[in-house]
Amino acid sequence: MNLKEVLSRLGSEKTHQFAIPSKRINDGDDVSFFLTSKAYTDLMTFLLQLNTSSFPWKPSSEGAPAGGWSLTANSEPFSPAVSNLRSLIKKLDNIIDEAPPDTGPRRFGNVSFRRWYEIVIERAPTLLQECFEGISSQVPFAATGETTAQEELQAYFLGSFGSAQRLDYGSGHELSFLAFLGCMWKLGMFKQTEPGVEERDIVIGVFQPYLDLIRKLILTYTLEPAGSHGVWGLDDHSFIPYIWGSAQFSPAINGPEDIPSEGSAPNAPNPGDVAKADAVDRLRATSMYFSAIGFIYDVKKGPFWEHSPILFDISGVPAGWAKINKGMMKMYNAEVLSKLPVVQHFPFGSLFRWEKDPNAVQVAASIHTSNQPSKHASTAASQRARQDGMKMPPARDRSQMPPTSGTAAPWAATSRTQMPPSTGTAAPWATSSRAAVPPAAAGTTTAAPWARPPSPGLPPQDNSGATRAPWANSALPKR
Amino acid sequence: MSDLDKAIAQLRACRPIPENQVKELCYKARELLIEEANVVQVDAPVTICGDIHGQFHDLMELFRVGGDVPDTNYLFMGDFVDRGFYSLESFLLLLCLKVRYPDRITLIRGNHESRQITTVYGFYDECQRKYGSANVWRYCCEVFDYLALGALVTGCAADLPSTEAPWVGSSGMPLEPEDREFEIEIFNSANEVTNRYPRANPNSNTITSNPNPNKPSTDPPLPKSPPPTSSPKPTTPSKTGLPGTSATSSSSGSPGNSSGAVLCVHGGLSPLIDSLDKIRLIDRKQEVPHEGAMCDLLWSDPDEIDGWGLSPRGAGFLFGADIVKLFNHQNNLAMIARAHQLVMEGFKEHFGSGGVVTVWSAPNYCYRCGNVAAILELGEDGSNGGFVQRSNGDAGRKRALGESGGGGGAEALNGMTGVRTPGRRYRIFEAAPQDSRGMPAKKPVADYFL
Repeated sequence: MNLKEVLSRLGSEKTHQFAIPSKRINDGDDVSFFLTSKAYTDLMTFLLQLNTSSFPWKPSSEGAPAGGWSLTANSEPFSPAVSNLRSLIKKLDNIIDEAPPDTGPRRFGNVSFRRWYEIVIERAPTLLQECFEGISSQVPFAATGETTAQEELQAYFLGSFGSAQRLDYGSGHELSFLAFLGCMWKLGMFKQTEPGVEERDIVIGVFQPYLDLIRKLILTYTLEPAGSHGVWGLDDHSFIPYIWGSAQFSPAINGPEDIPSEGSAPNAPNPGDVAKADAVDRLRATSMYFSAIGFIYDVKKGPFWEHSPILFDISGVPAGWAKINKGMMKMYNAEVLSKLPVVQHFPFGSLFRWEKDPNAVQVAASIHTSNQPSKHASTAASQRARQDGMKMPPARDRSQMPPTSGTAAPWAATSRTQMPPSTGTAAPWATSSRAAVPPAAAGTTTAAPWARPPSPGLPPQDNSGATRAPWANSALPKR
Repeated sequence: MSDLDKAIAQLRACRPIPENQVKELCYKARELLIEEANVVQVDAPVTICGDIHGQFHDLMELFRVGGDVPDTNYLFMGDFVDRGFYSLESFLLLLCLKVRYPDRITLIRGNHESRQITTVYGFYDECQRKYGSANVWRYCCEVFDYLALGALVTGCAADLPSTEAPWVGSSGMPLEPEDREFEIEIFNSANEVTNRYPRANPNSNTITSNPNPNKPSTDPPLPKSPPPTSSPKPTTPSKTGLPGTSATSSSSGSPGNSSGAVLCVHGGLSPLIDSLDKIRLIDRKQEVPHEGAMCDLLWSDPDEIDGWGLSPRGAGFLFGADIVKLFNHQNNLAMIARAHQLVMEGFKEHFGSGGVVTVWSAPNYCYRCGNVAAILELGEDGSNGGFVQRSNGDAGRKRALGESGGGGGAEALNGMTGVRTPGRRYRIFEAAPQDSRGMPAKKPVADYFL
């Protein structure tokens, strides 16, 4: 197995200065810049690297065990990093028992998700410490500055499970978990093995349990689809399982250079099986793709072709799973990574960097991207600021807003904290709240019932000068 | 059969009409809508509906439960499109009915009737998929720009009209409706009464169709044994009747049966709007702006707060009971009806009687929310000598509404306490059965997978 391009690990330097990741994307122009940034390149590299490892391997490939894979069959013992992540996810699952769903009146999402999330925030430093135990010692360089690696990673970790304010979950949160794993990769925490081996264990051993946890959270707390497009989105909540899940059924490869653009593995199910309930039942335990389809069957009533027309159309692709895999990558790029309502929440730090990638190619605008608001119309100053990695001020301060659910305004791209819950349409320009730490109120004793404690890892708006994380003084308010 | 009737028949069968017909329909609709005021005047009786979101089969269920056009007058409060599979068929059918029966159906604009929102939430993609181009989406968006921003329903009866519908409520309500004046009646989709609420103190509790939100809101039909006459529900006020009104007299023809006017908007109020005339001054023929009065009317939500709050949606505002009280008082309104927010029970009355009611008409929203839907019927007040104005808000024919109250109910409006809320009949319905829908033969291949 040969992975042409893998996410590069740090370590050629002796030291590294970490940073609390902060929000950078506030409008459509920022999205365009993001698509040419180093962070984008790294995210795509890591996604493709894991995608490549999800194809069946030819017997001739070096290192990796030949053949396909199943979610249920794991012969190899997992590496320390994968094992630790698995127990981390198990602990998060157990916390659900400590925050049983509220039985009182509600509009849609269950407010007890806030309690679950609150506990996760409180315990995040310990949880991550335990997760990194034994594997962070491999990190071959020293941290300089006030911010630790764990603090930087915590931002992505806490962004991975949905929004406590909005009581929703979407592909942006999924992206945050991918970035969390990417950070661990960059720090060299994953085992350095034959190419593809550890990657596949991440897919099967970490990402699938993560998806299982997310599905349990969605069911337990009736989390809304974040910014749902209704039937016109691929899936209400997830995207990545359809990418790696379609690779699982594609023809065997030696490496990325012979990833076929069509065809299927010999024993792969028919893509059309997604519309057959019995086939979905049979396949969902072993297949990542069908486990995602099965979850749709669990939560939606009605004909599959009607409530999931995009997946239904894809099931008619005649050229097989490899074609579907390729299409999924293109679609992810356009519908997730290029969409302001999704990526506006993604924070940037020292690992996923808000810096221009000199090798990046310019992307053409679609109706969707061109319709995205650009509040700071490209003045020379804002362009320069972006290139210098400076933070642009948010167009409108929506911090301290109360919560709702529903349709968000697409232009609502500024950061909101301390929001109360709701359901409904959010304006696509609306941001949900992950981007900012609750301001000064963090240390005070009076808080709105729905307010959360300062979110570790969530960056303050202003990152000039000495950014100090709110939890740095160990005075986290406990409730 | 005219072309329009043919188009209606085709759309009722859930088959889209050809692009050139859409173009013509949208042109006619614009000519009609441009004549409407920002706040359309609508006379009772009328059935008020909330969000549809492309749930075509559920829209058919709505018409089954509420009566067909033109037999029933309808007022749809926007959000026809996005999220559902049949936004196109749903919106075009409503538009055809509007052009065919302009005085029988009123359409006002929701926050999803916007170019920017429809490119994000699905309608754009749907048009692309069904026509292979964005032309139809463009025609529809041009119509969106002409939709009215609100409607003022006048001439409503304070009393609920008598009904032959069987009582199937579980408990609590008296047998003879004639004995008491009822303010709210709840019907299930089989045209049975499941709940009745006597006329309440204006500050009574929030009412939804089911006091227990975790249970399905339509009570299971019970054997038709006489329900007990006591055991009031938590939402049932102990006192009936309002000071200065006769709670037991409801002879039609007396001024006592008039009620105040009902303002209908998609979202809610705006801090920039303190009178209906301010709404009338808006230049509405444009894409929904990101802020300002027009935006707020389509985006705001009521909330349990004092005054105004920032909306987590990123557009519009949150507004509290005090804002509603003041606005209704200043404008002689009996209440505000709006849509915009999913309600598991189909409707929700906020801030007590005379406040705000949310009506939600998309059952099992997005195929997964498990909610029921509701429509709100406002009966006609027979006390105005049979004068029923059926215009759709022709500004030239309209009196200064909102100044001294509008329509037949004006005499009854003397200050906050004198404004009686209309009798409200909610009809609750569930998602249409799905087994009858065949699977499409063809699977169009999305661009990404070519």
